[in-house]
Amino acid sequence: MSQTITAAHSAAIDALHAAYLAALDKGDMVAWAATFSLAPEASYFCISTENDRRGLPLALMYDDCRGRIDDRVSFVTKVWVGTYQPYRTRHFIQRLSCESAGNNRYRVTSGFTIMMSAEGGTTAVLTSGEYRDLIEIQGDHAVFCERRAVYDADVLPRYIVFPF
Amino acid sequence: MNAPMTPFAKPWVANPDGYRVPYEVFTDQAYYDQEQEHIFRGETWSFVGLDAELPNKGDFKSTAIGDTPVIVTRDQTGQLHVFKNLCMHRGALLVRESRGNVKSFDCVYHQWSFDLTGALRGVPMRRGVRGEGGMSPAFDMANFGLDALRVEVMNGLIFASFSKSVEPLADYLGEGIVANIQRIFNRPIRIMGDYRQYIHGNWKLYAENTRDPYHGSLLHLFHSTFGLYRATQKGFTYMDPSNRHCLLKATASAAPTSASEDQEVYKDVRSYNTEFHLQDASVLAGRPEFEDRASLVINAIFPNLLIQQIANCLAVRQSITHAPNAFEIVWTLFGYADDDEEMQMIRMKQSNLVGPAGLISMEDGEAIEIVQDAVIRDGKKTSVLAMGGVHAGSVDHMITEGPIIGFWENYARYLKLGDELKK
Ligand code: FES
Ligand SMILES: [Fe+2]
Repeated sequence: MSQTITAAHSAAIDALHAAYLAALDKGDMVAWAATFSLAPEASYFCISTENDRRGLPLALMYDDCRGRIDDRVSFVTKVWVGTYQPYRTRHFIQRLSCESAGNNRYRVTSGFTIMMSAEGGTTAVLTSGEYRDLIEIQGDHAVFCERRAVYDADVLPRYIVFPF
Repeated sequence: MNAPMTPFAKPWVANPDGYRVPYEVFTDQAYYDQEQEHIFRGETWSFVGLDAELPNKGDFKSTAIGDTPVIVTRDQTGQLHVFKNLCMHRGALLVRESRGNVKSFDCVYHQWSFDLTGALRGVPMRRGVRGEGGMSPAFDMANFGLDALRVEVMNGLIFASFSKSVEPLADYLGEGIVANIQRIFNRPIRIMGDYRQYIHGNWKLYAENTRDPYHGSLLHLFHSTFGLYRATQKGFTYMDPSNRHCLLKATASAAPTSASEDQEVYKDVRSYNTEFHLQDASVLAGRPEFEDRASLVINAIFPNLLIQQIANCLAVRQSITHAPNAFEIVWTLFGYADDDEEMQMIRMKQSNLVGPAGLISMEDGEAIEIVQDAVIRDGKKTSVLAMGGVHAGSVDHMITEGPIIGFWENYARYLKLGDELKK
C-alpha cells in the first residue's frame, strides 16, 4: 500500500469497488457504466491472462473510449435482449496494491472471483483474475479512468454477456 | 451404447420435404468414437495452427485434432512437424505447456528425450548402472521416434493428417477454397491474440452453424441492426465439388437494399431494429481491403476449421472436441504484418464482433447449447433441413441449408454409415 493515500481517498476507492460489484451483481449495466469517468478516454478492457502474458492486444472486451463503454450497455440491454440465457453473478475482490499516480489518481490492483448462477442451474466459478485500475478521485467519490480485468481461465467456461 | 449402424435405419433420409438427421448423432458416445477414428484420425486434413505462431526454430504449440493431443513444432532447419503428444516409452503426455521454445522434448516421467524432428535421442540408464540392468540389446532408438503426422502448409495455414492415403491438401480443399485461402492469406500476417471458449454442446452443431446462412440475419441481432449482413444483401453460397467445405459470401453494397424491402423481409422478426444508434461507430468503421468488396466471408473447412472475414475482422476458428456434449473453439485473430497504425486500430475496434462475448458470435454458443440441452432425450427424433431445396451445392443466394446437407452426406460417408443412408 502506498504511503500517501488518505483515509478519505482509500474509502472512496473502496466505495467505487463496491459500486462496481453491486452494479454487475444486479445486472445493472447503466450503473456499471456510471463507475467510469465521463472523460472520452475512459476505458475498460477484459483480457485473458494468455494474451496479456504474450503481449498480444486482443481483448474479450475492448472498450477503449467512453462511447464504447456506453455502447456496451446498449448491446446488453437492447441488441442482445432475448438471445442469451439469463445468469446472475457474485463478484468478490480483495485489494492487492494501491499506489499514487499523482493528481488525485491511483494505480490499484485487486484479485477477483466471479461466481455464476445460470437461470435454473447451479452456482459455479466463472473465472478469477486481477483488476488493474487507474482510479481518479473526483471530489468525494472515485471513478475508473481505466479498468483492465485480466482473467485467469485459459478457456472460458461459456459465452459471456456481462463485463467482468 | 449402440453401434452406430442400426439406429440410423429410417430417419436419416432426404425426402422432398426435408433432409433428416437423428438427434442421437449429437449425444451418443458411439458416434463420437467413430468420428475420432474415421474423421479426425481418418482421411481428412485438420487445421493445427498458423506458421506465424511459430516464427522461430524450436517454437512449439500444443493443440488437438478432435480430442487427440498433438504438438506442432519448427525444427532447427525451419521445417514444421506435427506429432502426437504422447511419449513413446509408456505413454505420458510429452508436452504440457501450451506454447514455448525448446531444444528437445524431454518426457518428465523417465526423461526420454526427443529432438525437434521427433527422433529419440536420449534414454537415461540405457546401458544400465554399474553393469546392471539397462535396455535389451535388441532395443533400437531409431524405432521409437514420435508418431509423426503428415503436414502441409498452405499460405501459412498448417494442416496435419493421420492418414497416409488422404489426397494432397490442395485437392482435398478444391480450387474455390484454395482461392479463398490465397485471397485472405495473401501476405504475411500479424497475430493479434486468441479467444478460447468451451461450449456445452456437440462439435457438429457448430459445423452446422457455420454452414448455415439462414440464421445469420435472424439470430444475430447485431447484423440486422447495423447492416453488416442482411438477407436482402447480395450473397452466394459456394461448395467445393465434394460438398465438404462451404464458403458463404455477402457483399456490402453491390446491390443496395431498399428500406421497404428490408422491412417486408423482417416484418415478423424481433431482430430488425433501425432505431438503434451507436455512441462510437468505430466498430463499424472499416476500410475496404479486398477487391470483391465482400463484407462477410465465412469459409467452413471440414472438419475443424473456419476462416472468417467480417468487414476487416480476420480470424481462423479451430474446433477441438472433448466429448459428445463438449467442444472448444479457439479463435485466432490477425491482421497483416504491413498494416499501418490506423488499420491495426480498425482491426482492434472490430475484434469484439467475434469471440465468446462477440457482438455477432455470443449467440452461436447459446444456440448450440439450447439444441444440445433439448435433444438429449429425443435421439430418434430428427431435425429437418429444407431451406433452399433439400440438396447440397453452390447457389447464388444465401437462403439455404444446402451446405449443412453437404456436411451430413460427407459425415455419413466417413462413418461408412451404409446403404440405408442413400437417397
Ligand atoms: S513415459 Fe515418457 S519417459 Fe517414460
Ligand atoms: Fe452465427
